[in-house]
Amino acid sequence: MFDILSSLLKYIFITIIYLFIFGVIRLIYLDISSASKQKFVIKKNTSYLKLINIRESLDFKVEETYSLGKGVDIGRSGKNSIVIKDPYMSSKHASFLFKDGKYFIHDSGSTNGTFINGKEVKKTPQPLKDGDKIRIGQIDFLFVAGG
Amino acid sequence: MFKFLSLRRPINMLIIANIIAFGLLYFYKKPYDKLVLVEGLAVTALICVSYFLIIKKNMGDEYLFLVVAMLASLGVLMIYRLDQELGFKQIMWLVAGIVLFFLSFYFYTKIKFLEKLMLYYFAASILLFIATLIIGSNINGSTNWIRIAGYSFQPSELIKILFVMTIACFFKNSEQFIFKTKTLNLKWKLNNKEFKNKIAFFLIVYSYIGFLVLQKEWGTALLLFLIFFMILYAFEDDIKLLLLNGAAAVSGALVGCFFVYHIKIRVAMWLNPWADAAGKGYQITQSLFAIGAGGFFGSGIGMGKPNLIPEVKTDFIFSAICEETGIFGGIAVILLYFILVYRGFKITLYTKDLFKKLVALGITLMFGFQTFIIIGGVIKLIPLTGITLPFISYGGSSLTSGFIALGILQALSKESYLGEEVIENAAE
Amino acid sequence: MQRNNKIIHLLIVMSVIFFSLMAYLTYIQLFTSKKTETSSYNRRQWLKEDDTKRGEIYDRNGVILAKSSKVKGKWERNYPYGSLYSHIIGYNSEIYGRSLIEEKFNKYLLNINELSSVIGLNGNLLNSKKVGNNIYLTIDNNLQKLASDLMGSKNGAIVVMNPKTGGILAMVSKPGFDPNNQALVNKWKELVDSEDSPFLPRATQGLYAPGSTFKIAVTASALENGMDGLTFDDKGVVTIDGKVFSNSKKKAYGRVNLEKALTVSSNVAFSQIGVKLGENNIKNIASKIGMGQVIPFDLPVSKSVFPYGSMGKTDMAAVAIGQGKMMVTPLHMAMIASSIANNGIMMKPIMVSRIVNAGGKEIKKWGPEELRNVMPADIATKVKNMMLKVVSNGTGKSAAINGINVAGKTGTAENEVVGKEHAWFVGFAPAENPQVAVAVIVEYSGSSGGSVSAPIAGRLMEAYLRGSRR
Repeated sequence: MFDILSSLLKYIFITIIYLFIFGVIRLIYLDISSASKQKFVIKKNTSYLKLINIRESLDFKVEETYSLGKGVDIGRSGKNSIVIKDPYMSSKHASFLFKDGKYFIHDSGSTNGTFINGKEVKKTPQPLKDGDKIRIGQIDFLFVAGG
Repeated sequence: MFKFLSLRRPINMLIIANIIAFGLLYFYKKPYDKLVLVEGLAVTALICVSYFLIIKKNMGDEYLFLVVAMLASLGVLMIYRLDQELGFKQIMWLVAGIVLFFLSFYFYTKIKFLEKLMLYYFAASILLFIATLIIGSNINGSTNWIRIAGYSFQPSELIKILFVMTIACFFKNSEQFIFKTKTLNLKWKLNNKEFKNKIAFFLIVYSYIGFLVLQKEWGTALLLFLIFFMILYAFEDDIKLLLLNGAAAVSGALVGCFFVYHIKIRVAMWLNPWADAAGKGYQITQSLFAIGAGGFFGSGIGMGKPNLIPEVKTDFIFSAICEETGIFGGIAVILLYFILVYRGFKITLYTKDLFKKLVALGITLMFGFQTFIIIGGVIKLIPLTGITLPFISYGGSSLTSGFIALGILQALSKESYLGEEVIENAAE
Repeated sequence: MQRNNKIIHLLIVMSVIFFSLMAYLTYIQLFTSKKTETSSYNRRQWLKEDDTKRGEIYDRNGVILAKSSKVKGKWERNYPYGSLYSHIIGYNSEIYGRSLIEEKFNKYLLNINELSSVIGLNGNLLNSKKVGNNIYLTIDNNLQKLASDLMGSKNGAIVVMNPKTGGILAMVSKPGFDPNNQALVNKWKELVDSEDSPFLPRATQGLYAPGSTFKIAVTASALENGMDGLTFDDKGVVTIDGKVFSNSKKKAYGRVNLEKALTVSSNVAFSQIGVKLGENNIKNIASKIGMGQVIPFDLPVSKSVFPYGSMGKTDMAAVAIGQGKMMVTPLHMAMIASSIANNGIMMKPIMVSRIVNAGGKEIKKWGPEELRNVMPADIATKVKNMMLKVVSNGTGKSAAINGINVAGKTGTAENEVVGKEHAWFVGFAPAENPQVAVAVIVEYSGSSGGSVSAPIAGRLMEAYLRGSRR
């Protein structure tokens, strides 16, 4: 009984250990590759999103900061200007607009919704102020207004 | 749900591996002992809680603990399989180790004057050495244990950490040392102050190694020398001094090879253990038999005969792992140590403060070389010198001092991360 | 920063030493584990044996010749026929190791999978009871017993084989020893010290001068070289290059042709035939019958010796009558006789016919295999007819079997003790369709092959033929 169990499980056991090693190396790799990209310095007076989650707790690639420029789309699909492969995100999830020196956000018909400080945002663009917490999929961003 | 079950999450793999391992151990011997399952569950839960604590409390590098937890789990598994009673003790030591890990993390972050205590570290080490020589008991041919209240304690495990601190202090702040050397009243005929300091420093380093040689702890002596030499390479710009130390070591090793009986035998048994396979080469040949018997995937946990190897629970535990999980298991263990060492180097590179950089490097080198010396020894890549395999070998001193060192490294990692953020903010 | 560069150097050093650990670990697993696995210091193999039931060994009819049974929780090897198979099966002892079949087929008997080091199954999954494979020999137990009885307390060897398949039917080497563990422990020192070398498997490793039995090979060569019609004046003694060659008891046979010369085993005629054949032809026939060459077999076999560089006339004459420096094993002699019975084709000798696992499934099987072509079929037939005469009205009369045509040749091999020659007989029967071939040598018999060895061969062939017709 034990013989059979042990003989079978040894393959599984070794596989699991290697999956563990692979997992750690993968996370370290993601860590390094995003750290090296982070090198671009955010210019003064620009507004940007800052990741609040601990990057290691997410198993997909996500940057520490995203510059908003003149407005961006965010979602899982490659067509967006910010692409995040979060399974809880819709392919086109939300958009940031820049109008009259202010940033606005609106939901693009996502499944799981977009939230500012816990309140859901619908299709109507909502203005953003410095320090707002934006939740998209599993990710929490901090909105940092430039200037 | 998706997140929890994801195969990509190392912590999940660790949980599954532990479930498999302790599940197997439960079936290993009749009558089935439910205590095994309870203990396994407790260890796994403790690891998970500690891991999430490290993440939630932002305690810096999360991989260090994760990798060490995997190694320690493997160690507990193997020791439990070899000797149930010792397995239970090892679990207790693991719990103690994790507690010490957090304590050492906490104290290291709180206490800010650690870099000024060079002579205290040295004095503490000397005290421990002398205590070992006087009241030490002789286990396996080396006098390196102190018995206190029924517990055996191996001072050299703690001395390794003190040694790293001593070196770090010297390079950070040799002024404190100048002052001290004056009080020690060393009369050097050389005028160069800095040079005098260095000579005194080398004397300190070699007195550590000398004491270890006196206690016939060749493995630890070699380890400390390697740490010292590597740090000297990285932080000493005078190449002559480096070469001088290298030459001293080589000539010392040669003298040892030809004139010291113990070393002579170890070298002879490394070159050809088959010449006296039943006698002096017994350990190493039994180790090679075990590794050979394991093949690529091993015999399966509990299916091999690792008990044939002497000292299998401490120095030779790697051979037992190879026998029962094959060289795939053995290579996995080596890879885990390599990840640990890699993270250690990363922390070293990111740390700005010289003292902390040196401590991080010293501890990293300690883990790395200790692994190399003992694994290399049991697979006959280098001559065998008895030393424990960090976090896996049975033994309270080894496991707890390993966790203390890891706690220090963890604290340094947090500071190196903080350092990054400071730069980031400055850029804003 | 220069410090960090140097620290990166240290990281590289670390990487190199960790890589070397992995590489060396892989190296010792790939290249030295085979050696360590079988090292006698490795107690694992005996532990493995302790919990594995070693396979049984059977004769061709399923009679158990070796089996393992549990004694006080340990498997112990048992040989029910004692010394009868000591030079075929050998022994399996924790103290003295293994020999012969027990050694050579160890991995089958213990069911050690060759792939086990790669896959690591050790056969545990498939049968967790750990039972080895069973081995079937080509031996006929009854014939083996008879052969041993006929040899009695004399020293020597008997090989009985099927000339058409190469299967060994009986193979006796005397003296033997009891391979059962307790007997081995009790007698080991005595056996090792004995002057009779009881551990020597004479049939396969004993080297003897072939004596007159070698004349059948010389006859074949003579026939191939057109010496059919040659006659000699046999005066009982002939001098070649100053060396005297004489018949047994210096008996003169007068005018003899090749057939008569073989029938009466005339040394006078054959020594001259040897000289006439010349160095090349003699070396040629020696090589064709396999002198000095490896005989592939399930047991270790000594190479027959033919230690001649350039041959003088006396060498040629001595070889032609089977004396001189040439040496053969009894197994080889049986194979030479078999090749004449088998139209000139020498078959590879077989001892193990098949290996069957514990579930009764055949996992390995060996069939007849041609080893070499010794002579053309018509030459073989001519030699065979002459050998018939040897038994019907020559030196081998006592090998005759009532109602069966036996072909054979006697021989007397000189050795270091004058007047105590080894007695040879080789032969086969029935001549028209040979089923059994025999080689018998009785050491230091002091009498001729015809009187000592031929009757043994006759009885064995008769028993086999009558038995198999039953």
